[in-house]
Amino acid sequence: MRIILLLLIAAFVMPLSNVEAQKAKTIDELAKMFDASQCKSCHAEIYAQWEKSHHARPLMGVKGGLMLTPLALKKGEKGSTAFSEDDPKKMKISNFPCFKCHLPQAVTHAEDSVAVELTEALLAKDSEKVAKLQITCIVCHNEKAIIHKRELGGPEKGVLYSAKEVTSHPDATFKTVKKSAIMNNSVYCGQCHGLGPNLEFDQAFQCANLYGSYLHNYVSGGGTQSCQDCHMKKGDHLIAPNFNDEKQTSELLASALSLHVETLGYEWLRKANTYTPKVVVTTKITSNAGHRIPDG
Amino acid sequence: MTAKTADGKEIGKEERHYHPQATNCRDTKEKYGAQWKVANIRDTSIQPHQAKKETFEFDLPEGVRTADITVDLFYEAVNPDNKYPIHTITRRVSLDKE
Ligand code: HEC
Ligand code: HEC
Ligand code: HEC
Ligand code: HEC
Ligand code: HEC
Repeated sequence: MRIILLLLIAAFVMPLSNVEAQKAKTIDELAKMFDASQCKSCHAEIYAQWEKSHHARPLMGVKGGLMLTPLALKKGEKGSTAFSEDDPKKMKISNFPCFKCHLPQAVTHAEDSVAVELTEALLAKDSEKVAKLQITCIVCHNEKAIIHKRELGGPEKGVLYSAKEVTSHPDATFKTVKKSAIMNNSVYCGQCHGLGPNLEFDQAFQCANLYGSYLHNYVSGGGTQSCQDCHMKKGDHLIAPNFNDEKQTSELLASALSLHVETLGYEWLRKANTYTPKVVVTTKITSNAGHRIPDG
Repeated sequence: MTAKTADGKEIGKEERHYHPQATNCRDTKEKYGAQWKVANIRDTSIQPHQAKKETFEFDLPEGVRTADITVDLFYEAVNPDNKYPIHTITRRVSLDKE
């Protein structure tokens, strides 16, 4: 009897203390909570693709630029923003609304002290520290895998979600992979790839709005492919383009956009005996992407 | 698009810019950077199912009967110095029938 009682107490107390322990106080703690380096040993190819992807460097995506810096600047200083504060110590998670898409785990799992540490790191141009904050395997295969939370509940601890179920998954922490309803659907990517202005904040702003273009210009025109169909063939986790790879980006854009040019040279007759030599160039660009290019 | 005479003198240059353009909705200035943008006011980006057609037209200077046309399509990410070339097409246009 006593043993059973003890177990019951443990079962009731654990989840509560877990919720408290869940929030990270430092960048290192947050990075560790979502660390996915153990996946590398078995999913080596996917891991290598992801490491080169923009999702692996969501706070410094193009050529190492620390793009959250304007928010970190002191309020009133040149280049500072509506989200800036006069003292880095006052920065909170809510001062970085960008986390909604660039680092969703910070919204759910980080204390305001992480925002202070990030602000100081940005001001010190400490790229190494900022680089620890990533959209890891676990962010995508757990945090963002469920959008029908009222019907299906939130993502469970120790469970991964994917397009298909794996009942016994050999990872030490994530022992099962459950089927996500949306993982192979465009709305999954749409969670972060933007519909338009983010109007839910006290200071509205807009970043990516590519998912809006997908819905209103591609699907509306009869398009049926999903983001995954075009960007993740054979499970590719580079999810190109990778703007740090100039050659590959140029090649991908060249196959996405066609350019057709026609020319005409003639002498235009304005009025009797006054010829104007003219050149007319017509260009036509078509795209086979599933949304606007460029976005943002 | 650039047009040059056979000996390389520039006689015409025009650009078209394809991108969504947003303001902060408090003034009329276009903004770069998510922290400043609120909503698109104009969108010239290249959309699926919609070809972008342009016509460039220019007069040749006195005595010039041949022009070399170069059409360059490139992508700029984050700032105008960060360019990704996509297509370059050249054509020689002559007013003289062969
Ligand atoms: C010890 C090896 C091992 C480790 C470590 C491991 N996996 Fe797996 N994983 C597998 C195997 C094997 C399968 C394939 C099972 C099958 O297809 O029946 C799999 C399947 C998956 C799937 C489902 C694939 C599908 O078809 O949809 C996902 C998602 C996944 N792993 C993610 C991860 C992530 C994320 C990590 C790190 C947190 C990880 N795995 C760590 C071995 C491992
Ligand atoms: C609705 C989701 C969302 C929000 C909110 C968001 N972003 Fe983005 N951002 C994206 C996505 C997705 C991309 C890449 C794809 C694209 O641009 O279409 C991106 C790209 C960028 C880029 C260009 C890539 C790079 O690394 O240089 C910058 C800069 C950027 N975001 C800054 C911000 C800032 C600053 C904020 C907060 C003020 C913010 N974003 C808020 C989704 C978002
Ligand atoms: C958790 C939010 C999130 C999810 C989910 C997500 N993305 Fe992204 N994605 C981003 C952010 C943020 C960036 C930009 C990072 C940067 O460069 O600063 C990005 C970058 C990209 C890029 C690189 C191009 C660019 O402009 O940076 C592509 C392509 C892309 N995502 C496609 C997808 C696809 C396809 C899916 C669905 C399978 C997806 N993303 C799911 C947040 C997300
Ligand atoms: C931006 C979100 C995102 C990130 C980051 C991400 N995945 Fe995935 N992953 C997906 C999506 C979406 C699918 C389903 C693709 C489909 O069904 O077409 C997928 C599929 C998979 C699969 C099945 C592949 C197959 O061949 O069917 C495995 C295994 C996997 N992911 C492992 C990982 C591992 C390991 C990492 C980290 C290195 C990772 N993923 C990071 C979104 C992501
Ligand atoms: C019909 C195929 C197709 C579909 C569907 C599609 N894409 Fe793309 N996407 C492309 C092509 C082609 C490019 C341009 C080539 C490249 O840069 O890789 C591109 C480019 C991008 C870029 C870079 C945009 C930029 O600003 O240059 C992002 C981000 C992206 N796609 C995300 C998505 C997301 C998210 C979805 C789903 C909502 C999606 N794509 C659906 C084909 C597709």
